[in-house]
Amino acid sequence: MGLKADMKILVVDDMATMRKIIKNMLGQIGFTNITQADDGSTAWPLIEKANKEGVPYEFILSDWNMPKMSGLDLLKKMRATDEFKKTPFLMITAEAEQGNVVIAVKAGVSNFIVKPFSAQVLKEKIDKIFNS
Amino acid sequence: MELIDDPEIIEDFCKEAAGLFDELEEILENLEEEIEEDSSGAEELEKFGQIIDRVMGSAQTIGAEEISRFCELGKVIGYKSSQTTDLPLLNVVVAILFDAVDLLRGMVTSLQSGNSKTLNGLSTKAFATRLKWLSNKFQNIDRASVESDVKYKDNKKMSQSSIDDLMASLGL
Repeated sequence: MGLKADMKILVVDDMATMRKIIKNMLGQIGFTNITQADDGSTAWPLIEKANKEGVPYEFILSDWNMPKMSGLDLLKKMRATDEFKKTPFLMITAEAEQGNVVIAVKAGVSNFIVKPFSAQVLKEKIDKIFNS
Repeated sequence: MELIDDPEIIEDFCKEAAGLFDELEEILENLEEEIEEDSSGAEELEKFGQIIDRVMGSAQTIGAEEISRFCELGKVIGYKSSQTTDLPLLNVVVAILFDAVDLLRGMVTSLQSGNSKTLNGLSTKAFATRLKWLSNKFQNIDRASVESDVKYKDNKKMSQSSIDDLMASLGL
């Protein structure tokens, strides 16, 4: 694996089963430093806190559709700050409508992954984000 | 090992889905009351679409295809019906969605007990036809997913490869 195994990763999904699956996949790829949040609204304070402590998240994987703060709103919130303008952000979605994809691209998403996906596809997306 | 064959993941999914089905039924009960009071219950239907979408995404990922297909129909109906004020039609929506949630429970129980690919006795095909019929009642409504502030005339669904092509064309 070209990327460092202890890269600090935040997985944001409102479905615990999905978080577990994604965490397992990241583990299969070789990543070890994974934190979870169940919504954009719980992710945001974690992101801010980690940054204040000088150990910011280096990669965010977020579901799109969440009840309190969607993945898109989290992305916009991050991109509106200098600190998180360039944090790699992979959006996960069950159904990608063209309008939603375009708006996420405009908001600064790093890449998109459509459910269902395998660890191999996830790895390809991560490689693409970090090697481009 | 495929996720559908991973007992721990299946158990987690089934437990989580059962809790979400409780929430869906609660939403439908609230919706019934709202319709009785001549309100369209748009917010409740939007919430229904959002919650069933969660089950759909996980079902897709673990490979529970039939559950995923049912959830997708429920999601489309939830989001689309949230944009109508036709109360008699909404009454039909609520009744069918109650049945859909009930059937989904059966499907999840079947998955939990190990009959993941053969759901005999649940009449899922016949019910899927009813859901599709209902979904077609909202053909003139475009939005079938979470709301965004961008409206596209032809808001077609994109596959992973078409998204990849789009991202590549944008230099991403």
